[in-house]
Amino acid sequence: MSEEDLPGAGPPPNPLAGRQRRLVITLRVATVVAFTFGVAALVLPGEAGRVVAAAMVVVLVVTPLARVAWLVLRWGLRRDWRFAGAGVALLTVVALGLLTH
Amino acid sequence: MSTETLPPLLALGLLGAGTAAVGAIGGVGGAILLVPGLVLLGVEPLVAAPLGLLLVAAGSLAAAPSQLEQGLVHHRLGITLEIAGSAGVILGALVSDALPGPVLARLLGLVALAAAVAGGRRGGLRNPPGAVFASETPGEWPGTLGGAYRLGAEMVPYTARRLPLGLLAVLASGLVSGIAGVGGGFIKTPTMSEVMHVPVKVAAATSTFTVGITAAAGLIVYGGQGRIELEAAAAVVVGGLSGGTLGALAQQHLHPAQVRRVLSVVLVVIGLILVVRG
Repeated sequence: MSEEDLPGAGPPPNPLAGRQRRLVITLRVATVVAFTFGVAALVLPGEAGRVVAAAMVVVLVVTPLARVAWLVLRWGLRRDWRFAGAGVALLTVVALGLLTH
Repeated sequence: MSTETLPPLLALGLLGAGTAAVGAIGGVGGAILLVPGLVLLGVEPLVAAPLGLLLVAAGSLAAAPSQLEQGLVHHRLGITLEIAGSAGVILGALVSDALPGPVLARLLGLVALAAAVAGGRRGGLRNPPGAVFASETPGEWPGTLGGAYRLGAEMVPYTARRLPLGLLAVLASGLVSGIAGVGGGFIKTPTMSEVMHVPVKVAAATSTFTVGITAAAGLIVYGGQGRIELEAAAAVVVGGLSGGTLGALAQQHLHPAQVRRVLSVVLVVIGLILVVRG
């Protein structure tokens, strides 16, 4: 039996979660926005629908990268330079993908 | 690249919902079912792959808040590994654009077979709880690749090991994601759990975090290649977010291990058809 299959094995809410409350709220809002844009894209006709669908894709692409940027800032402020540097390296690699356009 | 073979939007939405729901119940991600399923229906792999990564991105985003609240995500480990994962997905997306459709379909079949094996073998309690850590707060330890998480009433301490091997495996998973349009969680989670000795729950949550970044990096390249069909994307994402939510609710009443076994059988069938047919 794996850990995830243990009944009641799920951890209770993390007492540190309050520290990341803004991030949690932002991610919830982004999910709702992506869903709303998706529905609107299916309902709106023609070019308007395509523009909203493109906005939905942008939300899905930008949100995880903004999360990494937020973590880099947070770690930088706490002088956790090694992992702040790892975050910058990751964002640099992703930015290289733009050069393929 | 032809988009004429895409199913109607309603069918795409239902496919997205169904695969996301089953993926959420089995803990394997929906794209590993969606992309091979679309290719079986006659959709070109070059068109199906971006839809798969969109489903991955939506699933990762939707799962993030609750995983953050439970202190399960190890951001430092995820970001460190994802440097290799993102490099892999960009390379894979570039390579996939140059490969012929039948070759891509066969590769996708092999990926489905590999996912079936990974899903069937998953599990095992590797990290025992430690009484000395009972007063620790769950979450990652700053400045390290270690942390602790709560298993029942006890705390489980852990430290990620064999980072170079983990980076290599995640690079490979990124390549697979870029070529096939699947999340690669079926490689990342066992790598973190079995190779790097991170607890399964932390590995799964961290993997969910990283596949969102993998998907973003892959979609940036796919977008530049003009491979994202916007209307189809909307249908898959709306279906995926709805199905993923329903799947997460249903998971409480079903046994994930049994669902994974059924999924493994389905993936073997799909994988064999794709490998043989091309």
